[in-house]
Amino acid sequence: MRALDWVVLLASLVSIIAYGLYRSRGSNTVDRYLLAGKTMPWYAMALSIMATQASAITFISTTGQSYVDGMRFVQAYFGLPLAMIVVCATVVPVFYRARVYTAYEYLENRFDAKTRALASIIFLCQRGLSAGLTIYAPAIVLSVILGWPERATTLLMGATVVTYTVIGGIKAVTWSDVQQMCVIFLGLWIALITVIVMLPHAVSFGDAVYLAGAAGRLNAVTTGFDWNDRFNIWSGLIGSTFLFLSYFGCDQSQVQRYLTGRSIAESRLSLLFNAVAKIPMQFFVLFIGAMVFVFYVFVEPPVLFQHTELARIAVASEYRGVENQYHEAFAQRRDAALALAEAHRSGDGAGHAQRLADFRRAQQALDGARAGAARLVEAQGGEKGFNDTNYIFLSFVTRYLPAGIVGLVIAVIMAATMSASSGEINSLATVTVVDIYRRHFRRGASDHHYVTASRWATLFWGAYAVVFAGWGKKLGSLIVAVNVVGSLFYGSLLGCFVVAFAFRRVGGTAVFLGMLAGEAAIFWAFLWGGISYLWYNVIGCVVVVGVALALTWMAPGVFARSGAEDRGGEKS
Amino acid sequence: MPEDREVPDSPPPFLGSWRRVYAGVILYLAAVIFAAYLFARAYR
Repeated sequence: MRALDWVVLLASLVSIIAYGLYRSRGSNTVDRYLLAGKTMPWYAMALSIMATQASAITFISTTGQSYVDGMRFVQAYFGLPLAMIVVCATVVPVFYRARVYTAYEYLENRFDAKTRALASIIFLCQRGLSAGLTIYAPAIVLSVILGWPERATTLLMGATVVTYTVIGGIKAVTWSDVQQMCVIFLGLWIALITVIVMLPHAVSFGDAVYLAGAAGRLNAVTTGFDWNDRFNIWSGLIGSTFLFLSYFGCDQSQVQRYLTGRSIAESRLSLLFNAVAKIPMQFFVLFIGAMVFVFYVFVEPPVLFQHTELARIAVASEYRGVENQYHEAFAQRRDAALALAEAHRSGDGAGHAQRLADFRRAQQALDGARAGAARLVEAQGGEKGFNDTNYIFLSFVTRYLPAGIVGLVIAVIMAATMSASSGEINSLATVTVVDIYRRHFRRGASDHHYVTASRWATLFWGAYAVVFAGWGKKLGSLIVAVNVVGSLFYGSLLGCFVVAFAFRRVGGTAVFLGMLAGEAAIFWAFLWGGISYLWYNVIGCVVVVGVALALTWMAPGVFARSGAEDRGGEKS
Repeated sequence: MPEDREVPDSPPPFLGSWRRVYAGVILYLAAVIFAAYLFARAYR
């Protein structure tokens, strides 16, 4: 990083944090600290919801995902608009009318205390793990840029996030998110334009898009069905609908954001904005990754993007052979790409097929050489299943982007993480205090006491997230890891809320046992089922609903709600 | 526990009703998927 980069980085971060803290003045009651006093406008909630999802992982990992696997990951978002409609029509008005701080508070109203406690604990486990991953992503950035160990950078990021969150509360988080998203959009456009400008003069934008497609990097929609295939249109439309229903309907980190709205209409608008904007945004980010791939067709990329592992294997005697194979494959791919682009431009149908085959063969050879280097990492005592997807975009940014732009992109990544992570930690603290501490340990204390407890809970969850972040590099692509972790728990939560909203006769014990069965089914699918993670949400939800209904049908005297409860709606 | 309360459910600022807004979002999703499909097909 050059001096100008540091200036841009520090100025961006300080201004975003300062603005967020400035807007959070007066957050001295539980209602203001956790729900911003229900004063937020729809556009602030909309951008905050988007910023929570678009953390640093969006920049770092999604672009890398597109580089190695193409754009088919975008299908994982096809279910999001459908989920948003269901949440707007059903969940939002129910939560508003119940006047709850958390989604799980509603479950006690509808079922009983143990169901609320179980749902809260499931959320705390799941979101606590995800918060660790959110911190780990920018820690990679600092590690690459500064050459520090990832453990040190994780600690640095975690300490900054926790300090900011403890002081600010949700109002600071939301308003800083608004600024973050503006900077993120700016950074995305600058990154894309820079990649295209840096392509060789002989390669037009049209050529670049064509070459990305020829290499299979523009496979945005795949229609074949396969249980084991993570991303296709079916898992996207069905599986991800359940995932996002769970995320936006049952995950406090999102629920808390739209509960800060002035009205039901404002909360709905914030969610529907995301329903419309999220797929194009993911498409755009993935497209940047595809263009980075084309850039590296003409400029030789490193054998591995993680320089510390590359340095480790560079001393091995076998590395020379891998390196030579890589150089040779790169030269062949570059020449084949130029010939293919020329054939495409000239409309040479006969030569085109041959050149396309040459290009794809050269790509396979290059992939083979990279795989050989990855095996060498393992052979030299490196991590098992080595994966450098998360380093690809950062490596490109730091090597090739001009002064100032590097600082801006790094600022975007770090600021987005701080915001997303602070939102997660804030919601974890909210559930800990409202659903656990205030409900089971200390009822009827003063408002000041609960605000203080919230700050201590924030500190605890920040520390927890930092510790878990140490596992981040064992989980492969971070963007996928976040969704996998979420899917291990979301299905059961979703099933619980589906029963709550749709099956009035089912009582608390039936749904409680259903949730335990749902979690067992999900972990079976994860450990032994060989099924793609998007389907875990479907499995968990169906098992919870099925078990709860079956128990109620088999033993209504034990598991069904009483007639009075049924007629009166929720318990008071 | 908190009790249910009456919260006004005001109409959206466009299209007149929430049902129409939801229908619009579904149509938009279909158009986006179709466009992405054509894009992938054109460049495969």
